[in-house]
Amino acid sequence: MLVLPLRCILKQIRCMKKINSACIIDDDQIFVYGTKRIMKDSSFCDTIYVFENGLDAITALKKMTVAGIELPRLIFLDLNMPIMDGWEFLEDFQKIPSKIREKVTIYIISSSIDPRDLERVKEYGVVSDYILKPVTPKDLKNLIEEIE
Amino acid sequence: MILNLNTLLTDCFITDSPIEIGVFDLDMNFMLCSKLWIENINADHIGVIGKSYYDIFPTTSLKIKEAHNRCLKDDLKIFEKEWFILPDGSAQCLNWKINSWKNNKGEIGGLIIVKEDITGKEIEEKYRLKAQEVAKIGGWEVNLITNKVYWTKITKEIHHTPENYMPTLEDGINFYKEGYHREEIFTHISEAISNGTPWNEDFIIITVDGKEKWVKVIGKAEFVDGKATKLTGTFQDIDAEKRAEINYKETLERFNLAARSARIGVWDYDVVKKQLNCDGNMYYLFELDKRNYSNDFEAWKSVIYTEDKERVISEMIVSLDEGKEFNTEYRIQAGDGKIKYIRSIAEVQYDTDGVLTKVIGANWDITDHRNTELRLLKNKESFTGVFDNSSVGMALVGIDGKWLKINNSLSSSLGYTSKELMKLTFQDITHPDDLVTDLNLLQELIAEKRDGYQIEKRYFHKKGYVVYVILSVTKVTKIDGSISHFITQIVDITSRKQAENKLKAVLKITEEQNNSLTNFTHIVSHNLRSHSTNLSMLTGFLTTEKDEEEKINLMRMLSDSTESLDETIVHLNEVVNVKLNVIDKLESVNVLHTFNNVKKSVIAVMKDNIVTINCNIPEAHYVSAVPAYLESILLNLLTNSIRYSSPTRLPVIHIETKRVKDEIVLTFRDNGLGIDLNKHKEKMFGMYKTFHKHKDSKGIGLFITKGQIEAMNGKINVSSIVNVGTTFTLYFKTN
Repeated sequence: MLVLPLRCILKQIRCMKKINSACIIDDDQIFVYGTKRIMKDSSFCDTIYVFENGLDAITALKKMTVAGIELPRLIFLDLNMPIMDGWEFLEDFQKIPSKIREKVTIYIISSSIDPRDLERVKEYGVVSDYILKPVTPKDLKNLIEEIE
Repeated sequence: MILNLNTLLTDCFITDSPIEIGVFDLDMNFMLCSKLWIENINADHIGVIGKSYYDIFPTTSLKIKEAHNRCLKDDLKIFEKEWFILPDGSAQCLNWKINSWKNNKGEIGGLIIVKEDITGKEIEEKYRLKAQEVAKIGGWEVNLITNKVYWTKITKEIHHTPENYMPTLEDGINFYKEGYHREEIFTHISEAISNGTPWNEDFIIITVDGKEKWVKVIGKAEFVDGKATKLTGTFQDIDAEKRAEINYKETLERFNLAARSARIGVWDYDVVKKQLNCDGNMYYLFELDKRNYSNDFEAWKSVIYTEDKERVISEMIVSLDEGKEFNTEYRIQAGDGKIKYIRSIAEVQYDTDGVLTKVIGANWDITDHRNTELRLLKNKESFTGVFDNSSVGMALVGIDGKWLKINNSLSSSLGYTSKELMKLTFQDITHPDDLVTDLNLLQELIAEKRDGYQIEKRYFHKKGYVVYVILSVTKVTKIDGSISHFITQIVDITSRKQAENKLKAVLKITEEQNNSLTNFTHIVSHNLRSHSTNLSMLTGFLTTEKDEEEKINLMRMLSDSTESLDETIVHLNEVVNVKLNVIDKLESVNVLHTFNNVKKSVIAVMKDNIVTINCNIPEAHYVSAVPAYLESILLNLLTNSIRYSSPTRLPVIHIETKRVKDEIVLTFRDNGLGIDLNKHKEKMFGMYKTFHKHKDSKGIGLFITKGQIEAMNGKINVSSIVNVGTTFTLYFKTN
């Protein structure tokens, strides 16, 4: 279904202004591959960080704040992950001083259509929206507009 | 008066007259004289005749002499009263009647004198006056010619006037109380004067000092030649008696009124005259017309209800004959056939000599009272009937919590005999968890904060098991409002409760299953979606990819993705199968043998891990299980312990079983990595939940384990400390 319009949309995104860095936290390697590919095709950003669970991600982000490196403007967060899932990550992320994380926008990217998950997401102010997998070039376009 | 003195008859008439009489000539010489007089003056007949009156009676007073002379001169009739003091000193009162007689020529020939000794009469009169004085009877007299009024001393005393008071007729009348009394005396006086009608009436007079006083006034007129000349009479102070009488009348009236209002019929029986008298109330009570009966006894007999007649009449007769007091009850049947209950009491009266004179009785209608009593009895009977035969347990409980009365239904539903239960209090048989609630409510009932209460509570059956009941408690108050006792109703709902509990359990299972089904659906949806989106994404890339190398890469990913989809479906299938048709496959499985088999297969595939296993499973322990499940569970626990062992410690595993009641409790303890249960407790047995980085972690093992053990009616718990170890506790049913 995505096949036909994909090329034209990608062209549109290429014209858009890039953001510095984005971050994907997901254990599904195929999803990560696909998303990264779409992002690259649209020259969405310069750097893409990838973590396969919440624990790896939060550890890395904390290290970046200590090192004074700017946090990624955008985080795509999966909910179901081993070791530390998306929820636990959100709990920990909220503990980072808001000054440091205020420019970070988090999008939940999940396959879950469980209404309980959708409700629970609303409890986290740091989350901007909930995107159902897969992420499409159109999604990217919308959220870039939103960020700006 | 013309006398023929020549006749012998006349002589005899005078001479033998029974009164003292004498005939005199103009010179007052005796011509004739009655023997009685001669005897009385102690003389003889011859010595008197021809002699002068004044010679015979030398002491004749001037007043009498003058009377004689007046009569000789004017043909008069004179009455004179004269008191004498006789030679013996005694007083004598003489009444002289003097009149003249005429000879043939019509001239006055002399006098006829009648001497009457009225000493006795006068004394009698004196006594009469004295008596009147004592009886407070005064006299009065009105001379209608002169209009002079004469009051005796007592009359004046009654009027409180001074002794020298001289009233006129008008004054006298004005003493009578204005209005009825004054008009009445006036009428009587008028009647007496015109018709000669005497009167004897009671009046109220107002005395000089303004007090009302009852008096009895008797009066009559005296006539001369058909004309009333005088009114005379008596005047008696009857104030005290009259007031007493009025007072009595009022009391009697009040009594009659009371008797009438209270519908109390009163009768009396005169023992001497043998006569029964019933008052109007009696007839009212009996609904009879007095005129229809010859006497009261007949009337009374006629209304008594047939069944009671003989008894009551004989009781009555005994009472009347023997003067016995009488207190009975009987029924009467009034005209309309309605039956009334009558209470009758009687007392006897004796005169001062102790002779039975009267029986006085009272009768009143007690139908309402009796009906209420009968209703009460009926209520009581029906209550007792309900109490004894009710299928609901009932008890009367005292304020102290002791049974006053219990019915069979209660004792049998608690397994006791009535006698056994009576020895216990409700506290003894109440489930301790329900006692406080019950006692608090009872306390509120006693404190009048509520009128009753209903709770669901538990008692213990004699055999020890719990009896569920609905208890309703109502208080019963005494007439003064204080609590007399409690009525408790105890409905045994044990079977209902058991059904309810069963239902609740089923509901809980259904709810749990429903929940897990929902969760499972979401898991399925999530996992299948993950794969489908990946597959469609990869195919999308593949169709547009020009680079052959990248195409190969995409194809590899596509194949991986299909494989993991397949794996997911296998997992889901496994999960579904766990809960299907388990009950039929349950059998008694030896725990030790199963574990030993599992241990062998694990150690066979272990390469470099050195594991210490301390097994303490008694040979005799069998559990109710599906053999494959038990194997799978033990295998899973064992491989987990090895897989997640500490990199710094050699793995040590303790496994043991214990029998607790009808269950086998298996504990499985390792010294591995442990899991932070504060964070992960809820996800511990969740599907696709992994907590450690390990290539074989799928998040499916514990999920299946929990499903399997629950399918076999067991349960699994976990406790864990990070970097110390994890302990699983499993509960298995035996047969």
